[in-house]
Amino acid sequence: MGIELLLALITGAALFGVGIYGALSQTNLVMIMMGVELILAGAMVNLVAFWRFLHPDIPAGQMFVLIIITVMAIEMAVGFGVAIARFRAKGSVEMEEAAELKG
Amino acid sequence: MNLIAAAILAPLSTMALILLLRRWPAALALLGATAGLLASIALLTNAFNGLTDALILPGLPNMPLRLVSTPLSALLSTLVATISTLVLVYAVGYMKQDGEKVRFFATMLLFVSAMQTLVLAGDWILLLGAWELIGLSSYLLIGFWYRRPGVSSAATRAFLVTRSADLGLYIAVFILIANAGTSDIAATLHTGGHVAVVAGLLLLVAAMGKSAQTPLHDWLQRAMAGPTPVSALLHSATLVAAGAILLIRTAPMLPPPVLLAIGIVGGVTTVVTGLIALGERDLKRLLAASTSIQYGLMLMAVGAGAPLAALLHLIAHAAIKSSLFLGAGVFQHSRESTGFTDLEGAGRDRPRIFFGFALAALALAGIPPLSGFFSKDAIIAAALAAPHAPVLASFALAGTVLTGAYMARALRILWRGKSAGRPIAGLGWMAAGLAGLVILGAVLGAAFPSIETVLNARLPENTLAQILGLSAALGGLTLGWFIPGQRLLGGLLPWAQRGFAIAGGFDNWIVRPAFAMARACARLERVLNEGVLAVGRLGLSIGRMTRKGDDQGIDGLIYSLVRGTIRLGNNARALQSGLIHREMALTAVGTALILTALLIALLAY
Amino acid sequence: MSAQMFFIGFFGLAAVWFGIVVFRTFSMVRSALALLFSQTALGAMFLSMQAEFLGVLQIMMMATEMSIMAIFMVMFMMDPGGLGEMDMTHQKRLSLIAGLVSFVGAVAVAVFADWGPAASVVPDAAQQTVDLGLELLGRSMLIFETAGITILTAMIAATAVAIQSVTRSNEHGH
Repeated sequence: MGIELLLALITGAALFGVGIYGALSQTNLVMIMMGVELILAGAMVNLVAFWRFLHPDIPAGQMFVLIIITVMAIEMAVGFGVAIARFRAKGSVEMEEAAELKG
Repeated sequence: MNLIAAAILAPLSTMALILLLRRWPAALALLGATAGLLASIALLTNAFNGLTDALILPGLPNMPLRLVSTPLSALLSTLVATISTLVLVYAVGYMKQDGEKVRFFATMLLFVSAMQTLVLAGDWILLLGAWELIGLSSYLLIGFWYRRPGVSSAATRAFLVTRSADLGLYIAVFILIANAGTSDIAATLHTGGHVAVVAGLLLLVAAMGKSAQTPLHDWLQRAMAGPTPVSALLHSATLVAAGAILLIRTAPMLPPPVLLAIGIVGGVTTVVTGLIALGERDLKRLLAASTSIQYGLMLMAVGAGAPLAALLHLIAHAAIKSSLFLGAGVFQHSRESTGFTDLEGAGRDRPRIFFGFALAALALAGIPPLSGFFSKDAIIAAALAAPHAPVLASFALAGTVLTGAYMARALRILWRGKSAGRPIAGLGWMAAGLAGLVILGAVLGAAFPSIETVLNARLPENTLAQILGLSAALGGLTLGWFIPGQRLLGGLLPWAQRGFAIAGGFDNWIVRPAFAMARACARLERVLNEGVLAVGRLGLSIGRMTRKGDDQGIDGLIYSLVRGTIRLGNNARALQSGLIHREMALTAVGTALILTALLIALLAY
Repeated sequence: MSAQMFFIGFFGLAAVWFGIVVFRTFSMVRSALALLFSQTALGAMFLSMQAEFLGVLQIMMMATEMSIMAIFMVMFMMDPGGLGEMDMTHQKRLSLIAGLVSFVGAVAVAVFADWGPAASVVPDAAQQTVDLGLELLGRSMLIFETAGITILTAMIAATAVAIQSVTRSNEHGH
């Protein structure tokens, strides 16, 4: 087992943890989205590492990464659309105030 | 058509006709009565020729209804028909100005047909039915003017008293039928022994009620509240005769103890009601008391063992008393009252009517050659020849004296006074009826020998009786004419005027205990009512407790369950805060848990 | 191998450090820029792992995305400059624990799992691109097409959500 793989995986794990911390602890919608970006980035790193160090001859690994990049883009687009709508409706995107769905 | 049926059905069908047509009631009534009279006369003729007839109708099993025409029953039937026809003639005039002729004549015809059934009955059951019917018609007729005060109570009283006495008749009939096994009257006359004694005494009770004997004499005097034709027909000649007729018919069966009882009852009645008549202040009530006396004399004759004498006196008395009542009716119309104070001198208004009245009064007193003499003479002779002669004879003589006294008293009051009459409507009719009955009363004496032959019986004859009777009658007449009745009675006057009530009379003996019992029953009813209500209330309270238990117990349980669930739900709501970070935190924790579970599963297997 | 190891380690550290900076700074613009640099470091990592197409793609896309994000940050945030120095976080302890737990878990899996021998032969970049292209239009055609439609849907959705609703009454002033 190569040390490079381990390093890449640890990086991925770290990014994942930071992303979770950010997504759970930020009040602003945009900051939460940044946290989610970091989570997805961690997943991407892991994928690339696995492709490179375990199955470099299968292009499907890269395909997966492409899909994740697509997902990141889509998520940002829709997320910002929602943020605009929310900003128009309520004047801020602070998630502390967004308790309309309270049970 | 069978003569017996004709005698009964003629008046009955005429009654139905009157009720249907509601027109010409008087004419139709006369027609029906005359038809019945012709049938009865035909029956009598047949009986005189020795022919008997019988009509048997289907009745109860083994007890068919019988109507028989024996000499006795044919004679009585003719008597009833004659008196009814003449009284109805009188009634045409009497009721000329009354508005309810239909009801009157219809009820009178009902009575006539019922009375005919009674005298022609050969069967106890038919006799009982007819007995009831004449009681009913008496009630209807006494209470004819029911709107006047006191009339309906008089009618009810008469009905109740006679009805109570009829109980004796019912029990006697049951005993006789049970003993003889058949309801044929002729067959039951052969009963003997203790049954005859008991039955005889009970029959005496019934006769006391119907014939107004002491102590049941009061109803007759109150019954004078009815119209005078009613008094003339029912309460002198026919209805009250039913009691005497009963005893005469069953005379063969009655044993000596019963005969003695009958004689004593008759005798006591004679004296008591005679004294009452002396003190009476109303003409019709005086005549009613007189009826009681005469029937007392008849009962004494039966008790002395000479039912024939009683029968003859019944026939004579029927004609005489009816004419007396009819005359009283004329005076009533003339002076608009029957009280003696109003009637003083009423005789002078209508001398001819008064003449007929006086003739009938003398006949009643027993002056020859009028019919009353012969029958009274027979009674006194029978009393003298009876087993208990002293008692019965003295009662009979006292009765004769009293009869003369009160009749003379009535005549004196009617004659002595100023004439003050008014024109009366229908006087012609009334006079015709009165004349017919007076004539009958006068000349019937001549028919007595033929009656004796046809009935195969002999009247007792006693010269001593004739002398005693005549002197007693003359003495009584003189006494009554010259001495006012009040003075004759002396100290007995107040008691006599109260009708000789003993210890408060029927009021104290019967009415008050009855009311007390009714009150006690009402109290009992209240207690029972309370009891029932208490049961109901108990049920209600049980229901209430059950409901409370259900409400608080079971419902409480359910509601606490509901509340617990709601509280749980409320607590669970806290999870759904709507805040995104919390949702994400939940997602993270949940995912971690799932991954852990998967990992453990993976590692374990 | 050691050069690759060094580069992977260096760029990985840079990515993680810049990721932490994203959430520690008060200024919004600096957060966006830090995220940009983190993603760029990631792209460099891809390049050092000989995934050239992906690395370039990552750097290009992230640069554009992060700049747009910076614009949106300035639009929507209360204090884009961060001069107020407000603490805009909540449930910090929970998030810290969650982050740490996930990090430790992932590391544990990475360390204790047996990944097998590392591969040493890697096709060169041109060949990788050809293979990727053939893959896209061959076996993964469906995925590719689905991704395309999803992107279209997302574009339409985002536009629809963001458009200001115009009612006819407003237009005509009734």
